[in-house]
Amino acid sequence: MTDIKRVLVANRGEIALRIIRACHEEGMAAVAVYSDVDRLSPHVRAADAAVALGPAAAAESYLDASKLLAAARSTGCQAVHPGYGFLSERAPFAEAVTEAGLVFVGPSAAAIRAMGDKTEARRRMQAAGVPIVPGTTRPLADHAQARPEAARLGYPVLLKAVAGGGGKGMRLVQAEGELESAFEAAQSEAQKAFGAGEVYLEKYLERPRHIEIQVLADSFGRVVALGERECSIQRRHQKLIEEAPSLAVTPALRRRLSDAATAAAGAVGYLSAGTIEFLLAPSGEFFFLEMNTRLQVEHPVTELVYGVDIVREQLRVASGQPLRVHAGTLQPRGHAIECRITAEDPFNDFLPVTGIVQHLRVPGGPGVRWDAGFETGNEVTLHYDSLIAKLIAWGETRVVALERMRRALRELVIVGLPTSQPFHLRVMDDPEFQRGDVDITYLDRAGTRLLSVEARPDLTRPLAIVAALLAEERRSAVVPEQPAARPPDRVSAWLLAARREALGA
Amino acid sequence: MKYFVTIGAQTIEVEVDGERVLVGGEAVDVHLAPLAGTPLYHLLLGAESWTVAAQPLEEDGRWAMGAVGERVEVTVRDERTRETAALTTAAPGGAAPAVVRAPMPGLVVRVEVADGQRVDAGAGLVVVEAMKMENELRAPRAGMVQTVHVAVGQAVEKGMPLVTLGSPEPQSPQVSAS
Repeated sequence: MTDIKRVLVANRGEIALRIIRACHEEGMAAVAVYSDVDRLSPHVRAADAAVALGPAAAAESYLDASKLLAAARSTGCQAVHPGYGFLSERAPFAEAVTEAGLVFVGPSAAAIRAMGDKTEARRRMQAAGVPIVPGTTRPLADHAQARPEAARLGYPVLLKAVAGGGGKGMRLVQAEGELESAFEAAQSEAQKAFGAGEVYLEKYLERPRHIEIQVLADSFGRVVALGERECSIQRRHQKLIEEAPSLAVTPALRRRLSDAATAAAGAVGYLSAGTIEFLLAPSGEFFFLEMNTRLQVEHPVTELVYGVDIVREQLRVASGQPLRVHAGTLQPRGHAIECRITAEDPFNDFLPVTGIVQHLRVPGGPGVRWDAGFETGNEVTLHYDSLIAKLIAWGETRVVALERMRRALRELVIVGLPTSQPFHLRVMDDPEFQRGDVDITYLDRAGTRLLSVEARPDLTRPLAIVAALLAEERRSAVVPEQPAARPPDRVSAWLLAARREALGA
Repeated sequence: MKYFVTIGAQTIEVEVDGERVLVGGEAVDVHLAPLAGTPLYHLLLGAESWTVAAQPLEEDGRWAMGAVGERVEVTVRDERTRETAALTTAAPGGAAPAVVRAPMPGLVVRVEVADGQRVDAGAGLVVVEAMKMENELRAPRAGMVQTVHVAVGQAVEKGMPLVTLGSPEPQSPQVSAS
């Protein structure tokens, strides 16, 4: 047992705030770190102490292990929580934390390493009896070596980076003629993104779903699976909407997926929270894709249907306590859905946008959760990812959860920059999505149709009236020097009312 | 004063005459009140209740407005500015040059067109990397690339011109919009 009193939260944005909240509920103090542009971010203000890391560039702040360790030492922390992204899946960081005499809130460096090398992970999963996507389990030297393998698998095939993730270093190859150039492109992209250019081959599956299983493991050898998340709604390999449970997963399939996931975690001696990603083919067959050895963005949907606080469980496991999750059969209760509210303009090809959040009205009421890294007054910059917040809704059934999400999306007000909010509203209204008829190609198929839907027609009239009245107010406001020029009877009642209220009278 | 409010493909005429508000010539019962300290307004349109967020954009007469989860960009012109705009708009048929600007600061990683090249609407022009993502800026309409303003490796600021598109066929200079 390690008595953890203070935790260094080595991250930023919504996930840093999420971890700080868990620390406080566990009776632990939380120390935030921040770069120059994050000085006033919510996680800094919520923490008990905060340490400056330096310039905005991640390499000089959130990715600088020595600065993070110095911050942990100077503030008397016993543990470091890495969150997701940044250093969360870098084995040398986990090692450095442990060597500094601190607890790393997560798995061992060995487990991170085993799962981080995608071909080693595939070999280990195969040995543990977990089905893997057909393909090679060793890196390929060159396209000549790839050619017979691709022919054996049958086109189309996917070239993937051994150190991969996030779709970088990945190429779809439709026919043999494309193999050579695709191989070189994947290799150079992987080299650029991960500093390692090795690639391998996988059979390309037609229209699979992305299904993942949440696991939690403690140091007493207990590994539990908290069911699946459906994450098929993706754009360029970035998830946008996640749900739990999946409409495609029956209780029997859930048991098989859970058994495979706990076997996968067991094979690497896993500790803390992790996620095993699978592709689920229309035939019902499933294949191990990869394991994320960290907390995941979409963890709240699992929390809502299983009644488990995953981050608090991580903190308990880190201090050497057993999981609090009860021993009986774990079953999902109701349905949860998450929409990622990002600083991207859906009507402009999802281009990232920047700006100050001038006003924020957060949805509330039954079954609604808001995990955000920004509040009114905060600026969205280009230095980090575009996630502003996660809006999560729970309901007794999927239909209720969707209705609740639509209601919450209508309540949400973000002034200052365009966001993905209107896109999510259109997905909630889409019959295909409502039927649960989704796979990883859903957005490629439905995106254009969804985004060509105009805003509600009944909105045009009220917005036109407000716009005209505001223009009238601006016009009248520029001639106040000569009150005589504007007879009192020309001043409209609503303007007077507006001015009185604006002055707080 | 009469205002012409353009929302998407629709233009709506709203006349504000003292206390009276007319939409398309028809009087409506309206009360608008700001929520102090916020960009929010509450509109009672008859008995209809609407909460509307209004953010003025850089360009005069342009607003980003939000309600019920939607975000819509709106252009307001009064009678006078509308007349002036009509005079300066290019004659029909001759498309005015369009400037494609950087929507955010970033780094130019690819330039996909060259001066004088003809492009279709939607054709990729320049790829700017920002927020760890590559973003392809596309032609808003068909045209001839008049000028490429940037080069690979160049850092760009928000609003900086990337490419100027001329009309599809080379023709004599014309009056440009705005």
